[in-house]
Amino acid sequence: MSIGARALFANYAALQTVGNNIANANTPGYSRQQVEFATTKGQYTGAGFFGKGVDVANIVRAHDAFLAKEASLTKSLSAFDQTRRGKLADLENVFPPGERGLGYSAGQFLNAMVDVASNPSDPSARQVVLSRAKELASRFAASGERLDTIQASVTSDLTNSIGTVNSLAKQIAKVNDQIARTQGGGKAPNDLLDQRDQLIAQISQFVQISTIPADDGSVAVFLGGGQRLVLGSEAQALVTLADSFDASRTRLGITEANGTRALDSALLGSGSIGALLTFQDVDLQDARNMVGQMAAALSDQVNRRQALGLDLQNSPRSGVPIFRVGGPVALGASSNTPGTSLGLSIADARQLQASAYELRTDPAGSAGIYQLTRLSDGRVFLVQDDPGGNGLVNTDPNHLNQQIDGLKITLGAVPMGSTDRFMLQPVTRSANTMARVLDDPNGIAAAAPLTATMGSSNKGTATIAALSAVSSTIDPSTGKPFPTLRGAINFTDDLGNYTWNLYDATNTLMATGSGTWTAGTPILSSTWLPAPATPSGYEFSLNLNGVPRSGDVINIDSTKFPGSNNGNAKAFVAMQTTPIVGRVMQPGGALSGGSSITDAYANSMSNVGVRVQGAKAAADISASAATDAETARSSQAGVNLDEEASRLMQYQQSYQAAAKVLQAAQNIFDTLLRTMA
Amino acid sequence: MRVSTMNAFSTGVAILQKRQQDMEEAQNRLTSGKRVNHASDDPTAAASAERAMASIGRADAAQRALQTSRNAMTLAEGALGDANELLQQAHETMIAAGNASYSDSERKTLANKLADIRNQLLSIANRPDGAGGYLFSGQGAPQPPFVDMPAGQPTGPTLPLFPNAGVRYLGSGGTIDTQSSEPLPLTVDGNAAWMQAQSGNGYFETESGDRLAVPAVSPSTRAWIDKGSVTDPSALTTSSYSITFSGAGPTLAYSITPSGSGTAVVNASFVPGQAIQLDGMSFTISGTPSNTDQFTIRPSTPSLSVFDALDNAIGDLSTPSRTSQQVQQTVAYGVRDLDSSITRIQAVRAEVGEVMNRTEGVESRISASKLNAQTEKSNAEDLDMVAGVSEFQGQQAGYNAALQAYSMVQRMTLFQYLNM
Repeated sequence: MSIGARALFANYAALQTVGNNIANANTPGYSRQQVEFATTKGQYTGAGFFGKGVDVANIVRAHDAFLAKEASLTKSLSAFDQTRRGKLADLENVFPPGERGLGYSAGQFLNAMVDVASNPSDPSARQVVLSRAKELASRFAASGERLDTIQASVTSDLTNSIGTVNSLAKQIAKVNDQIARTQGGGKAPNDLLDQRDQLIAQISQFVQISTIPADDGSVAVFLGGGQRLVLGSEAQALVTLADSFDASRTRLGITEANGTRALDSALLGSGSIGALLTFQDVDLQDARNMVGQMAAALSDQVNRRQALGLDLQNSPRSGVPIFRVGGPVALGASSNTPGTSLGLSIADARQLQASAYELRTDPAGSAGIYQLTRLSDGRVFLVQDDPGGNGLVNTDPNHLNQQIDGLKITLGAVPMGSTDRFMLQPVTRSANTMARVLDDPNGIAAAAPLTATMGSSNKGTATIAALSAVSSTIDPSTGKPFPTLRGAINFTDDLGNYTWNLYDATNTLMATGSGTWTAGTPILSSTWLPAPATPSGYEFSLNLNGVPRSGDVINIDSTKFPGSNNGNAKAFVAMQTTPIVGRVMQPGGALSGGSSITDAYANSMSNVGVRVQGAKAAADISASAATDAETARSSQAGVNLDEEASRLMQYQQSYQAAAKVLQAAQNIFDTLLRTMA
Repeated sequence: MRVSTMNAFSTGVAILQKRQQDMEEAQNRLTSGKRVNHASDDPTAAASAERAMASIGRADAAQRALQTSRNAMTLAEGALGDANELLQQAHETMIAAGNASYSDSERKTLANKLADIRNQLLSIANRPDGAGGYLFSGQGAPQPPFVDMPAGQPTGPTLPLFPNAGVRYLGSGGTIDTQSSEPLPLTVDGNAAWMQAQSGNGYFETESGDRLAVPAVSPSTRAWIDKGSVTDPSALTTSSYSITFSGAGPTLAYSITPSGSGTAVVNASFVPGQAIQLDGMSFTISGTPSNTDQFTIRPSTPSLSVFDALDNAIGDLSTPSRTSQQVQQTVAYGVRDLDSSITRIQAVRAEVGEVMNRTEGVESRISASKLNAQTEKSNAEDLDMVAGVSEFQGQQAGYNAALQAYSMVQRMTLFQYLNM
């Protein structure tokens, strides 16, 4: 009878387990439970060992630790890729192709100068230029704002994720505690184990973790690089901290007994938090720098070109700036020696690169040598202070005494210590505050300051191809009247040799000399009297078509009628096809490479596009890997309803059979009793 | 291998969602007509389309500039044509003034006609270009560029002396170009067109008297010199000559002295009507020169102003009581100068016409390059409609099939068949 009762009980337990499985078929993280039967120890009798029935030895859960770990790791990678892909898709909207983009707007602005060139005194053509300029400045500022918004969303996502991670960690700690308490019972607390595994799987979506089981049944959870998160029944809390250089960026920190400690983002590995930090530190910064580089280069070149022309004010003077952008910033780490500072200004905006830089003293310890690292590609420069006042210059013999990437970095009065770090951001915030600062249409400097005319009795075939001012020691920020200048070039033979005379405003001869013209090269006044000896303060470049002959005369005069002259406006139009962004200084001092403003935008747009494309592909791959791993895990641990249905039938039959056994035993007992009575 | 029920359902749903998303993306491409909606769809194509768009913008701007130039040149060509007609009329008038039977009052009438023509030419020279500027303003001029000024003005370090009153050009020479795919002029050099005809017959200028000497020598009253011609271009020199007459009657003789040298190179007796040949030049002095009459020959310079020529003729023809030789001299000067001016205006008109021809070529080049850029942009980013539609339909069919398969498979469960 006891056999029957035992069997009954065992099958009842099995049915209960099957019922539990069916009930929890859709519970995430539930591992299918199975009853383990064991035969009761047989009884020794003279006739042999009699079996005593069946016992329920244990309820085990189908759980493969390896598959679970695999599933959790792939989910972590997949979360990383998905988050990165989502954020990059956001970033891509800052670089739209076609007519909504920055490149189109810049092209429109420069093309509007063609109408000013066609009709220099037409106020409506000038007004169009100014409104296009405002549109361009607004687009750049809006891009900067959107990048700020994306940064803010990253920060808020981080804060939310950290909140979730912290609560999950606390729950793991609690479950650890409960499991440890039941440890003494000798039976595995399946539901608690399932719950803990589920919590660990959830946490791994946010941060990559590794787990180490302890002797008391609890599991210690470590963050990717080995930082302890949960140990036994204690959980530590993650917090967000401001970056030590740049207060708008966020870092991860962990609260410990003796305060908060910052965590190195590179060690956090995969998971959505790692993706957010990588995106913030790499992709978002690159995007900011690309937009800022274009804004700074374009604004600088436009303003310089303005300063080299005459506007239409009542007494015409050199043009005032059209654009204003945010300036370069040098940030010291919060741990720097107090009083240290750096001055940062832009010497040549065409050489600006889309990167931030880090400056420290030379790690090898050489005195007076500093190490400047370009963060976008990791290139390291060793620089020293230039006695000529150009700031920190290159020590590389091929590029000796050249400034790095167009930057003028001046050391502060307090010397830097070996642990001091500075982050240089020449272009990062340039675009945010870009604005048009010229409102008067007459302020557009469309006229060239100089006009050249060929003498009337010239016998040669030379004509003026172009005359433009090429450099200026005039301060571009304030318009000043151009000094009156007159020059005369007399060709003395048919080979291009000439003598030149320079006259000042009172028509007194200031200087005279000779030079030689060769076909295809311009006549540069800087070869006559290098600045600042040139009293006019600006230099010009004169291109000739054709060939001059002996006795030919070219007269160069200050432009008397700026309302009809369009020389500077044509130079603006030519800026569209001139490389002005990202040029590189060669060993000889010449600039090469770089791209025009519209090409620079096309390159930035496709740069971000390639990242998004890569992130999409990576997300697809890791999503399918995660799906496969999860399928493998759940094929082992998940509930299959058909299987449970068949087991239901199986145990039901066994239960009925066991009931029958009991019934039979009862009949036997009854018969026995009746026989006795 | 076991299949967990929950996993099977969630995988099925994920596949359905993926198919639905693919179908939606195909639909997006169809509605926008573009294969590349974001740079990430095809980064190289997006960058290429961006560059093509910049080219299209530049081509549009170049076309606008070209149109401005064409307008200006059309107006200028018309103005030069009008000027040519007026100068032809003046030419006829000059020739008519040589009629020996005319009296002073008749010559005065002709002089008035010339004055009228001169004023019309001045207004043509100051013709506006319809956009606030002037056609003949060169590289810039005040408004207007041609102004009647008193004697001695304007002054300037590179300007010649203007001893007489007359029309002066106050602008800068040269032309203003606009920035199309190549520079195209917006103005015509007024100085070159109106102020720089060749003086004399193009090689040398003959003059009765010498206006440039200090003191000036007044012209002869009994003789006049024609404009001369060139018999041997290789023998021409660039020096000036002074022809001095002495004696009277049968002893009338002349000597020719090059300027700068004190010695005469020719001493001969004068034969009326006979051409004098010297250094490749040939000219005739008609009438009877008086003793100490002087004639001058100097090289041609591009310094003849149309207005000065007409002013001189008007002034001379209005003067009463002149000898027939003086009248002949005036007519000779006038016809010669008007011929030179007409040649100059026609040359400038031909230049302008040539620019307009060139503009046609430039325009077709700009159109071709714009079309090229548009094609490139379309190739890079536009959707091939046929491929797009068939892709969309494929996605649709795939989604449909997935839905049907899902509904069939997920209905199958053992519980259906168990009746307990």
